[in-house]
Amino acid sequence: MNLKYPKIYFGTAGWSYKDWVPSFYPKTQSKNMNWLEFYSRYFNVVEVNSSYYTYLNPDTVQNWTEQIEHVEDFLFTVKLHMDFTHNKKYNEQKIKSVKQVLNILKSEERLGGLLLQFPYSFDCNQATIDYLRKLIELFEEYDKFVEIRHKSWQNKKAKSITFCTIDQPQIGESIEFKPNVGNKMAYIRFHGRNEKAWFQSLNNFGKTQSYEERSERYKYLYSPGELAEISIKIKEVYDKVNKIFVIMNNHPNGDAPANAFELLHYLKDLNKIKMPDTIVKSYSRLSELAKN
Amino acid sequence: MPRIIFHLDLDAFFVSVERILNPSLIGKPVIVGGDPKGRGVVAACSYEAREYGLHSAMPIKQAYRLCPKGIYIHGSMGEYSRFSRAVKKILENYAPMIEQASIDEFYMDFTGTQKIYGSMIMLANRIQAEIKTKLGLPCSIGIAGNKTIAKIASDAMKPEGVTYIYPGMEKEFLAQMPVEAIPGVGKVTVKSLHQKGFFLIKDITKLSHEYFSAAYGKYGIDLWEKANGIGREYLNTPQDRKSISKERTFSQDLVIQSEIEETLFDITEKVCQLLRDKNWQTSTISIKMRYADFQTLTRSKSIKATDDDKIIFETAQSLFRKAFTRRVGIRLIGIHLSNFTEYSEQEFLFDDIDIKRGKMFRAVTKIRDKYGFSSINYGKGKKK
Repeated sequence: MNLKYPKIYFGTAGWSYKDWVPSFYPKTQSKNMNWLEFYSRYFNVVEVNSSYYTYLNPDTVQNWTEQIEHVEDFLFTVKLHMDFTHNKKYNEQKIKSVKQVLNILKSEERLGGLLLQFPYSFDCNQATIDYLRKLIELFEEYDKFVEIRHKSWQNKKAKSITFCTIDQPQIGESIEFKPNVGNKMAYIRFHGRNEKAWFQSLNNFGKTQSYEERSERYKYLYSPGELAEISIKIKEVYDKVNKIFVIMNNHPNGDAPANAFELLHYLKDLNKIKMPDTIVKSYSRLSELAKN
Repeated sequence: MPRIIFHLDLDAFFVSVERILNPSLIGKPVIVGGDPKGRGVVAACSYEAREYGLHSAMPIKQAYRLCPKGIYIHGSMGEYSRFSRAVKKILENYAPMIEQASIDEFYMDFTGTQKIYGSMIMLANRIQAEIKTKLGLPCSIGIAGNKTIAKIASDAMKPEGVTYIYPGMEKEFLAQMPVEAIPGVGKVTVKSLHQKGFFLIKDITKLSHEYFSAAYGKYGIDLWEKANGIGREYLNTPQDRKSISKERTFSQDLVIQSEIEETLFDITEKVCQLLRDKNWQTSTISIKMRYADFQTLTRSKSIKATDDDKIIFETAQSLFRKAFTRRVGIRLIGIHLSNFTEYSEQEFLFDDIDIKRGKMFRAVTKIRDKYGFSSINYGKGKKK
């Protein structure tokens, strides 16, 4: 058995979902209820995805850090704007605004790292390697997590960054789930295994879609067996890392927080996990896992 | 060397998984199988259900009559497979060889591992504890010199038992057991055995195998052998290569270190070639050496996975130098690579030297494929 336990940061991609009421956020909440604060009582990391679509207002970010000021152990990981990873059109101004936000979090010791997610078309060749290298140098001062989906990158390694491990529907050639380790960390993202909707979404690429339409492909509740199997594989890298980030992105209806608690339960050798009553009510199988 | 075979059986496995999926089933009689009014059989039942006289393979209708208040569920095969795979993954960290006999049963061969693990009972306890802590699944383990006894042993102390039948104790262990404890003995055979007056296993061993051959044919001999504690000592495992080794016996004993090392280099190159052919990397390197007086030593070292001749040779060489302490000639030297991982084409973004070496070795392999092994050499090997 492993004797060494890495620090596990577990959370979800985003915290502000209306459809998490009442399965995670209580329904009978006061108007002023602070969702981020509530979230931070149970999780110790959140992945910020809005930064991919928009340049975040530094005041907003400053405000986040204030909301969770009293929480001892909590980090944000921030997804890099698509101008860098998808459109490949960035300039000094854009770099500055990304860094400004990162620096606020960093100075408050709330930054987990920067997530660079590239499109499927970003296959591995000299030009893309050079481009990636350029971005890595550009954001040298932060920990970087790189998610690349094209299989030509499979098994590529780099010492100064962490390639993300992703769990997603296995369409086409199936790739076995195997945690990547880099820079003494692992960053694991769970997109759900909703094959049908995932496949459908490939046809809708580029179309304007509603929140529900966009969310459809993330609608998936992992089963305990899936999480147990994954946990054994994650444990195999325990002695190679100092930190493991586990991010659930199957956000519709609160499946993501439910699965996050459940996976943590397996990762911590079946220890009971602190979770709100709301989630136990909605997901009865969590009742045996909950610390009350 | 007596064989050491483990049989690990997950206790009421389907029920354990169902209770993870639905904790409200905990503490209740649970029966996994077909429709309780249908024609199916019980696939698994909880210990609470067994108190009503239920057991697996019983017609489900009969089970329903005995225990109408039980909770009857269909079962979630996909989920059982996932937990089963997770268990296997844990076992792979311990056992050099595993045979999965069914979704909830594994044989493992631990022969020759006492030096690593010490007490086999402690090892069994450790495996049991790990499966329980990581997956929440209870299991029982039987340890014996062959598969049959190991299987009967795992069944002897359920749930969560560990039973070790020492070599030589098999017959005694089996003697008082009912004939139905023999694996593979079904209802029909039990009935026939009872009619002939065989109730306990010792009743079978009182007669010679000729009788059983006459009464039941080939199956009878098998039955008689099992009753006498005889069983298969080797697992059925896929023909995976677990190690690559080469050794050479000298026509004349050698004492000069550099001469021995030249041969070591030579055979290292060959095993490395085989390694790269398989697209593997090794992380355990062992050497074997035999002195002229037949004293034989083996030494090994674990390193970061590699398929690089240079690293492998240097490791083997340092093992050899440390072990070669007597002023006696050497008659045999060997190298043994194990603990393989699949090599994958890696583009170390910031580590260009490793790529070059990797590419060079792949090129060497190609040349050798085309023109034969000795067409290209690395620069130290013994001239032939």
